[in-house]
Amino acid sequence: MQTEDGANLAEFEARLARGEKIEPGDWMPAEYRRQLIRMISQHAHSEIVGMLPEGGWITRAPSLRRKLVLLAKVQDEGGHGQYLYHAAETLGATREEMIEALLSGRAKYSSIFNYPAAAWADVGVIGWFVDSAAILNQTMLARSSYGPYSRAMVRICAEENFHRKQGMEIVLRLSQGTAAQREMVQGAVNRWWWPTLMMFGPRDSDSPNTPTLVRWGIKTRTNDELRQEFVDQTVPEALAMELSLPDPSLHFEAEAGHWRFGEINWDEFWNVVQGRGPCNEERLQARRKAHQDGAWVREALAAFSRRQDRAA
Amino acid sequence: MTDTQLRRYEIFVIERPGRPPVHAGSVHASDGELALQNARDVFARRPDCHGLWALPAEAITSHPAGSAEPPASVAPEQEPYLVFGKPGHKGVQTFLGTVQAASAAEALDAGRNTLGGGIVDWWVAPERCRLATQPEDAAPMFDPSKDKPFRDQAFYPVETMMRKLRRDRESGRAKP
Repeated sequence: MQTEDGANLAEFEARLARGEKIEPGDWMPAEYRRQLIRMISQHAHSEIVGMLPEGGWITRAPSLRRKLVLLAKVQDEGGHGQYLYHAAETLGATREEMIEALLSGRAKYSSIFNYPAAAWADVGVIGWFVDSAAILNQTMLARSSYGPYSRAMVRICAEENFHRKQGMEIVLRLSQGTAAQREMVQGAVNRWWWPTLMMFGPRDSDSPNTPTLVRWGIKTRTNDELRQEFVDQTVPEALAMELSLPDPSLHFEAEAGHWRFGEINWDEFWNVVQGRGPCNEERLQARRKAHQDGAWVREALAAFSRRQDRAA
Repeated sequence: MTDTQLRRYEIFVIERPGRPPVHAGSVHASDGELALQNARDVFARRPDCHGLWALPAEAITSHPAGSAEPPASVAPEQEPYLVFGKPGHKGVQTFLGTVQAASAAEALDAGRNTLGGGIVDWWVAPERCRLATQPEDAAPMFDPSKDKPFRDQAFYPVETMMRKLRRDRESGRAKP
């Protein structure tokens, strides 16, 4: 902070206090810019990699209706990645650097997408759990102090509600279905519950970036607060559908008004974050292949563009 | 980096007839026509788009932030400039109108003098750099989103289904 211009910093923080949005080109602390580029590019990568677990089910969806819905959902995730790459670019990051960081394995993305979608019911549970969790996080980020990030989040949240509801509809139908369908959906719930809780990130006490992010209004709530809200929202839904959650110590604490959950397996979380999850390698391979397979299209576009320029 | 992601275009969406184009974000494309196509896929997947504008990022001059001058006209003659402004600190860049000017700096001055008060951030760009969907493109570009009601959360009656489940459980009629 010693290198920052004190007067600029005071004015910057006064603007935040007045609730103004910071825009590209406005003065901002170097650390604010760095943290935003880190967060937004990770978020963009998460949307892009997030297409993969469910994308594999498009060709195997059980009906034409489900196939159309899943296609639309996966296409939305791709679009969300584009909104977010744009927001990061307004801070001076380039698309090339960000894609290169993802493909080389240097960039991080949400741990949740390194788990496999083993059965059709997983598509439902991903919508119910993962998209609900994402909406909580993104509703908070829609109030972020950086204008382009905030606006991308407003747009994304509106679309994510479709994602959440199509997933819940699948889970509701399966949970009221045959014994085999109930068993399939319970299996998916068991697989996704803990990874979803991990998706909110490390405990506040292990989250070194949180105080800075909250101070500058990039985040307005902490990982633990959001995780608790997700649990409080989801447990009653599971109870209504008579689905159990794989946590023997889950209980309602009436005094606090919260559902209390057991200890998260943080070793598993850090393993996945550090690249040793069930599908990390597979996800990166899929992204690299997509990038390589698209190279001829980019080359053709560039050649066409050069020809147009020469003609002009 | 040999493998580029092509040029960046800033995209403006016209949500309904008669509404001004509003900045939505950017896309990368090799030319303006493809920028509009990409913008359709990225920003108009739902039926709230009536038209799109694309401006090459380097054609925009902003104030107070400032940026490179757009490519100069052959002669310093007056030409139409598009003027955009962000109305208030929580607003979004919105098209305000067109002015005649011989440079971006002149266009900024003209815009500030004639178009709207309360603007906190201005963008100007020569009109010749803009690509826009034409009215006759609207049907093939934007109609396909209208027959995809399943992209809207209201398509899924999950709240009703949940309420019914809870009611059934409370009245003891739920399955064991």
